[in-house]
Amino acid sequence: MDSFQIFTTSTSLVDSVDKKLLVVLRDGRKLIGILRSFDQFANLVLQDTIERIYVADTYGDIPRGIFIIRGENVVLLGEIDEEKEDESPLRQVPVEDVLQIQREEMEAKVKREKTKHRMLSDQGFSVDVAEFGELY
Amino acid sequence: MLPLSLLNTSQTHPILVELKNGETFNGHLVNCDNWMNLTLREVIQTSSDGDRFWRLTECYIRGNTIKYLRVPDEIIDMVKEDAAKQRVAGGRNSNRGGAGHNGGDQRGGHHSHQGGERGGRGGGRGGRGDYNKTGRGGYNNSGGDRGGRGGGMRGGRGGRGGANQA
Repeated sequence: MDSFQIFTTSTSLVDSVDKKLLVVLRDGRKLIGILRSFDQFANLVLQDTIERIYVADTYGDIPRGIFIIRGENVVLLGEIDEEKEDESPLRQVPVEDVLQIQREEMEAKVKREKTKHRMLSDQGFSVDVAEFGELY
Repeated sequence: MLPLSLLNTSQTHPILVELKNGETFNGHLVNCDNWMNLTLREVIQTSSDGDRFWRLTECYIRGNTIKYLRVPDEIIDMVKEDAAKQRVAGGRNSNRGGAGHNGGDQRGGHHSHQGGERGGRGGGRGGRGDYNKTGRGGYNNSGGDRGGRGGGMRGGRGGRGGANQA
């Protein structure tokens, strides 16, 4: 039978260097780029980065170049499997379309949140406001 | 190369800074420090909704307000040059304290700051020597401590080192 012993060793980003990663930021942005370096705060350097905006079953890419991301703004990151990328059920569309839909979704969301906030405050609840458009 | 080193290399180049509140600052990086505090020149500040713009001749941004920075693609090539230059400079400096450093003036009593003087290669080991005051001379005069070669604290080829009270 297999041994169920789990070895714990320290985690490092060194194995992710020079790999294509997806990085999610606290404001909800998804950046895809090649990790070139990092430090003890998990500040990251990404090269050939694109910002990918997802809407429904489509997405649009905006090329962005080199990013230096301050570590505290990162929610998660993960390696992208290039083969699985090709099998993705999502369609790539021109980025202008996606931006348009994203704007509309944003406006609708802000409106919903405002109504929710007002109704809860009226009932005497104290509602947390998300500062600076941060989702996480 | 570390993220902050990359940032240092991009001094004098145009960069874009986005703050946590969504405002963006486009300008030339003048200076930066270990906390990611920045000074920029000839800056265009844009509000988070992209509607309002300000022009600032210079500005200071506190590091902890930054979400991310974007730098020009050329910086990566400059970084590789910088790294190569530093390796060459390091090679030339490696013989700094190697030959004939007499620690003789540290006879007895208080051994303060032995670390720095021991020269290039010994640097690391010298540092530890500050705290391991199993000194030469001073309070511990055991015979066994004598003998330059045993001096793990001395580092490099550092001469006769320490206080050998022959």
